[in-house]
Amino acid sequence: MAISESTREQLQQLAARYPRPRSGLMPMLHLVQSLEGEVTPEGITACADAAGVSAAEATAVASFYTMYKRRQVGQHHIGVCVNTMCGLLGGDAVYEALSERLGVGHDAPTDDGQFWLERIECQAACTHAPVMTVDWEYMDDVTPAAAVEIVDRLERGETVLSTRGPAIRDFRATEQTLAYPEDGLAAEGTPVDDKMLVGLRIAKEGGMAAPGVPAPSAPTGQEG
Amino acid sequence: MTVTNNAPSGPSPDVAGAGTDVEVAVDLITVVVDGVEMRVPKGTLAIRAAEQLGIEVPRFCDHPLLDPVAACRACLIEVEGMPKPQPACAQVLSDGMEVRTQYSSEVARVAQEGVMEFLLLNHPLDCPVCDKGGECPLQNQAMSVGRPESRFTGAKREFEKPINVSAQVLLDRERCVSCARCTRFAEQIAGDPMIELLERGAKQQVGTAADEPFDSYFSGNTVQICPVGALTSASYRFRSRPFDLVSVPTACEHCASGCSLRTDYRRGVVTRRLAWDDPDVNEEWNCDKGRFAFAYLNQGRIESPMIREHGSLRVASWPEAIDAAARGLATARGSVGVLVGGRSTVEDAYAYSRFARTALATDHIDFRARQGSAEEAAFLSSKVAGAPVSAAYDDLESAPAVLLVSLEPEDESPIVFLRLRKAARAGTQVLSVGATATRSLGKMSGRLVSARPGDEANALRSLDDETRALLGQPGAVILVGERIAGSVGAASAVLELARETGAALAWVPRRSGERGALDAGALAGLLPGGRPLTDEQARRDVAAAWGVEAADLPSEPGLIGADLLEAARDGRLSALVVGGVELADFADPGLAVAAVENADFVVSLENHHSAVTELADVVLPVAVVTEKSGTFVNWEGRPRPFGQVFRDALTMSDARVLAMVAEAMGSSLPADVASIRKEMGALGPWTGARTPAPDTAPGASADGVVIASWRQLLDSGLMQEGEPHLAATARPTVAIVSASMAAALGETVTISGPAGSVTLPVVTGDVLDRVVWVPTNSPGCHIHADLGAVPGTPVQLSAGGAA
Repeated sequence: MAISESTREQLQQLAARYPRPRSGLMPMLHLVQSLEGEVTPEGITACADAAGVSAAEATAVASFYTMYKRRQVGQHHIGVCVNTMCGLLGGDAVYEALSERLGVGHDAPTDDGQFWLERIECQAACTHAPVMTVDWEYMDDVTPAAAVEIVDRLERGETVLSTRGPAIRDFRATEQTLAYPEDGLAAEGTPVDDKMLVGLRIAKEGGMAAPGVPAPSAPTGQEG
Repeated sequence: MTVTNNAPSGPSPDVAGAGTDVEVAVDLITVVVDGVEMRVPKGTLAIRAAEQLGIEVPRFCDHPLLDPVAACRACLIEVEGMPKPQPACAQVLSDGMEVRTQYSSEVARVAQEGVMEFLLLNHPLDCPVCDKGGECPLQNQAMSVGRPESRFTGAKREFEKPINVSAQVLLDRERCVSCARCTRFAEQIAGDPMIELLERGAKQQVGTAADEPFDSYFSGNTVQICPVGALTSASYRFRSRPFDLVSVPTACEHCASGCSLRTDYRRGVVTRRLAWDDPDVNEEWNCDKGRFAFAYLNQGRIESPMIREHGSLRVASWPEAIDAAARGLATARGSVGVLVGGRSTVEDAYAYSRFARTALATDHIDFRARQGSAEEAAFLSSKVAGAPVSAAYDDLESAPAVLLVSLEPEDESPIVFLRLRKAARAGTQVLSVGATATRSLGKMSGRLVSARPGDEANALRSLDDETRALLGQPGAVILVGERIAGSVGAASAVLELARETGAALAWVPRRSGERGALDAGALAGLLPGGRPLTDEQARRDVAAAWGVEAADLPSEPGLIGADLLEAARDGRLSALVVGGVELADFADPGLAVAAVENADFVVSLENHHSAVTELADVVLPVAVVTEKSGTFVNWEGRPRPFGQVFRDALTMSDARVLAMVAEAMGSSLPADVASIRKEMGALGPWTGARTPAPDTAPGASADGVVIASWRQLLDSGLMQEGEPHLAATARPTVAIVSASMAAALGETVTISGPAGSVTLPVVTGDVLDRVVWVPTNSPGCHIHADLGAVPGTPVQLSAGGAA
């Protein structure tokens, strides 16, 4: 698929957001991925042109970050965290169940192009381990059975909600949000819940503090 | 304590000047390396300080001309007060710092051994079939600082091998130790970041973008600096073992940058050429043409003298051929033209110069086998010939501003380009007078001073005040290329600008022999050392050196350029002596062919069959650069002497052959390089009044669409023949026009000139409107022959056509 003139204009607009165009390379790559379902050589060249770097330099970036795919991802990206916390709490079993259900291994698409399965690294959601992601939206506290059911429902075209609220769209739509995070969708739903703040509450109640650091006040921020 | 720097070497073309020692005070600090107290300049890296003590810390990624990266970790040393070993290649020493290398620190020794073992985990044990084996830093350092045996018993990582990074550069990924020398060279030195470390992480590997190969003019340097056998060249891969090669220091014959090279040969055949370390000139780099274009040395050679009999050439013995040449030339004495090729050594050019004036009694001599003008000849004679160094590489590096006139250094003098890029990265403002802002100019962060082809003189005379002020700064330099000959009034305007601003002025010819030929007086009106032919004293000096009467030397300046060719064509000259000239190189190849055809008698001194040898009456084969010794004089005026690679070669230099012809004519010439150098040295440069500078009124660009053009580094040049991998890395032949013209033309354009037309793909570039840039001599576009055009010629453009 050729990169259209309007895409090139969008890439220029992303470049213009930064003091130096090359700083916009990562949202640019998300943009072409949202349009093409993968980062193609043509997409890389278009990003490189807009960012003022060589195609090889853009390829180096695209090949370093695992969120950029150089094969068609398909409709939905399914991630399962297999780092220590999630893995121990059932992430490995969730991955195995999904792998069997989908008939694919790590970092590969299903034959019908519906799903892409990937073992992923820590999503900073250990509170809700084991965690699965669908198009990078959280599915907290999953079990193998729940994970397979999510896939079944997606396959039937049913509406699936993230455990934190937002409705699952598809991989390309999420990539669009990653290119343009200001679309307001990033903070949809309830990114922070009580369970995430338990530790903070206990610390406050007990008056605990790290040496030399003031005791915590009321929680304001999101989980980091 | 002070350290001294050498100034650029002296002006005389025969001996390298001793230079002046300049004392430069620097801040010194005291450090201790392996228990030895030493004082080093502030900012010194630990690895460099250790080197000064003769301590070799192992390294792969470290390269003195590249920024430190500490990628390979092989150089770990112990630094007093630091909890962990530090990489010596990136450790800047501070006052009082104490460091210990593997020689005095167990911590360092163990750390280095560990890194070496780690680097070898996935490195194949294929040294016996690897090109690097025998000259491999990994092999050597594994032996000197590694463990005797590996503890690794797993399967090593394997890759498909090799992959093409370009048509010329091959990559065996399993051998790579990820030192990033190649990628840093490409980005920092060449400005061509077309290779990068991809898949960073466990699968890290060097690679290119999917559709953009590493077609850098400087790609071969990455092969040379690769500290393992990961990068190899298609031209040398599996050709030889390093220990079977004989290495000879040589000088590059391709252009006037003047690179020092190392030529490696085996069994009488050159197997490869490398850039040699010459900090004053090419540092440690060269271009791919200098590195890979040497197959021509062995191809298409003329093996024996030939004479024309009943209309066709037949093989002759040397005595017979010499005799034929001498008799024919003696008959034509006084009415002979001499064309000297642009890649003659200064010694050979000197021989032509003296041969013309004595044995032939003629001053009709020109070394410019290309577009040349009388104004340019006057410019060169008055300002450049035999003159002291006006600007050297170091001066480019320290210049606040450098103005390029009719010069595209990446194509026409690549090492000048590298030095200008280095300078620009440190703040030098590069300016280029021309019709197109090239990618090359971008790599030098340069600014275009717009001038339509033909309008250069006007542009130079109407520079804005800001540009004039830049050139008025002390140390500013103006570099003029060979194409200035094609722009009326440009040379005069440049001289005026240099006088007005005080900027140093240097001429950067494209070919390696042109400056030497000029110094040797291979140009009508000019005797060796910049002596005016019309000056009585100069004639007496030269006559004395040549052992002739001054009255016997020609006293009227002879014909040059197109005038000389026209005289031969029209029968006003009866004979030609042609040495190493390609007729297609002249602005009007048809005129050149007619000149050689119509001359009654033509002697060709050549090493390869050519259009001239086809037409010549006597063909005398001469040595190529590996078969003789000699000197090229680079654009700085710096002599680049080189020795004979093949000492048992059965060929003779031009000078030696001319000496034999001269002798048969009852004249004499010094035949060997040593005698010629001695004679030239005794003559020395001229210190008297020089020939008058040109004062030509500015020309004007033609109306309509005009041609802008120069020769690309890699093109249809004959000395690049026989090296298909190199040719495959050349830039594609395209026509470059402005965006608005490109929109009107579409994908291809047919360009029609006086002699014909070519159809080329259209590329949009930063080119002035009503200008079309095309390469001068590339496959599919030879503007002289195909179009009858030179830069500035008006042409018709029409959209489309079969490209």
